Amino acid sequence: MKTLFLTVSALSLTMSAAFAQDKTLTISVYSFAQDAYKEALYDPFEAICGCNLVIETGNSVERMAKIEANAADPVIDMAVISSHDALALAQKGLLAEIDTSKLSSFDELYPAAQNPLGNNMAVGYTFYASSIVYRSDLVTIDSWGDLLSDDLAGRVSLPTITGTQGPLTLMMLNAALDQDPADFGPTIEAIGEKADDIVTFYSRSSELAQLMLQEEVIAAPIGRFAWSRFKDTDMPFAWADPVEGQAGGMNVMLLTKDSGNEELALQFMDYWLSAEVQTRVANALIDSPANMTVTVSDEIAEGLTYGADLINSLKILPPAEIIAKRDGWVDQWNNVVIQ
Amino acid sequence: MFQNRKEGLALALPAAVFSFLLFLVPVAILLSEGFRFEGSWSLHGYIDFFSQRLNQRVFFRTLKLGVLVAGTSAIIGYAAAFCIVNLNATARGRIFGLVVLPLMISPVARTYAWIVILGRTGIVNDTIVGLGLSDTPIRILFTETAVFLGLLQLFLPLMIISLVSAMENIPRDAIPAARVLGANWFQVFTRVILPLTKEGLVMGGTLVFTGALTAYITPAILGGSKVLMLETLLYQKVNVSNDFVSASVIAMILIVMSFSANLLLKRIATARR
Repeated sequence: MKTLFLTVSALSLTMSAAFAQDKTLTISVYSFAQDAYKEALYDPFEAICGCNLVIETGNSVERMAKIEANAADPVIDMAVISSHDALALAQKGLLAEIDTSKLSSFDELYPAAQNPLGNNMAVGYTFYASSIVYRSDLVTIDSWGDLLSDDLAGRVSLPTITGTQGPLTLMMLNAALDQDPADFGPTIEAIGEKADDIVTFYSRSSELAQLMLQEEVIAAPIGRFAWSRFKDTDMPFAWADPVEGQAGGMNVMLLTKDSGNEELALQFMDYWLSAEVQTRVANALIDSPANMTVTVSDEIAEGLTYGADLINSLKILPPAEIIAKRDGWVDQWNNVVIQ
Repeated sequence: MFQNRKEGLALALPAAVFSFLLFLVPVAILLSEGFRFEGSWSLHGYIDFFSQRLNQRVFFRTLKLGVLVAGTSAIIGYAAAFCIVNLNATARGRIFGLVVLPLMISPVARTYAWIVILGRTGIVNDTIVGLGLSDTPIRILFTETAVFLGLLQLFLPLMIISLVSAMENIPRDAIPAARVLGANWFQVFTRVILPLTKEGLVMGGTLVFTGALTAYITPAILGGSKVLMLETLLYQKVNVSNDFVSASVIAMILIVMSFSANLLLKRIATARR
């Protein structure tokens, strides 16, 4: 009898646990800092919603391909991705409109984050500045154009055109070289002429950090999210404030079309955008906040893209322009720069 | 060995089915992508690939580095193998162990070691500047030279192992006999050693050439995007451009190059008989 009782109890516990986890939300995110996200975001949300989060990670191309391949029967409910990649998905009709009335923190977001793609196809959750990190004991950087100067020949790395930082660097070099803002062609030509003076075209910030720590490279453009790799080292790295300003970008949240899990996805987005979570994520130095009400210490702010003045000053390349012109930039880059 | 052929076939069946379903079928599906264009069979993917200047450069660079690495491995490998087979058993075992040792270390670790060695503040540049050969460090990283060195170090042991195995089968008296009969060392090599070790050379050459063609980590780390090779281009096509047609074309080119190298080397070996 005792055995029967224990068995029934165990079964009931198992079944109740199973029912509690019956609600599942599948999200697609960048693969970095997943342990920190788990602590700051995923675990607390699972405790609140009584649901199970399934986390899919990968680079943008892999994750976008998965969303597209499963468009008829979506396996991803919600995703975070760069604004121009989100626009590419929206143009293919793969995204659902976001009911912003379900996002209680919506009005607290910076205006640029509220409807970055139009038609409420996405909501920005983090900004990042992009500038030049350099060895302050060896060189001074006042302009993006310094990257192509003779003084820095053989000591500079640029991001590859196919990454997020590539087009931003092109835009700022274009401004420094006083070229037509609508045409990056002459700037790509200028980079091509200096290709031998550029150590490498990096694709990952970790790769660049290693090259800079080895003194192979002493100046390179980079996103603020990677600044912590440099500022905590013994070497005198500095973050440039070029005369042309800093470039910037935004990552956004989106809902896949016809996922059937919109309510739970919106609940998760609402939680992520709340001041509470955005503060926790910012303090963990994972993402810079898009919620204007978030306040962090000066020390934390140093590692982030933080504050209205900075965010409003960022030079942002319109997602539509990136989507429309990227193939042409890549073709020209491959023919002129890569040798 | 088997009483009848059926028993042998039955034993081989599981492995054959496994290979067919989990290797050949997926590879065939993947490669067929390269022959599809707008819903029909076509060579458009190949024509388009070879019409682009960057792809042409990458193709010839990959071929050039593969040949250079295989050729250099053969030259160094013959010298090393000749020394090893002429050592006593104890010394031979130790030296052979040293040759094999790098194969037990991850290619990633070995390649990152090259970054330290070839960097501006690395041993090579310290020596060059120290000897006064150059006023400033020279750039070696992210050049074809760096990729060549990395690939050579990666695959040289395979060539040495193949040649040592082949040289151990040369009759002990063959080389002394040739010398007694008046052959100089060049003639000994070309008329005795080379013909008797050509199977090892074909094996080693195929392994090294194929390995150099298909290695990803070393070209990616030491060459980066400035020294693209077919395999790093393939990765870029899949993971950056989501262009599976071009990736399939590159995969097919690599397979064809590998098989061609093996056939060519076998043909050369056969022709010298």
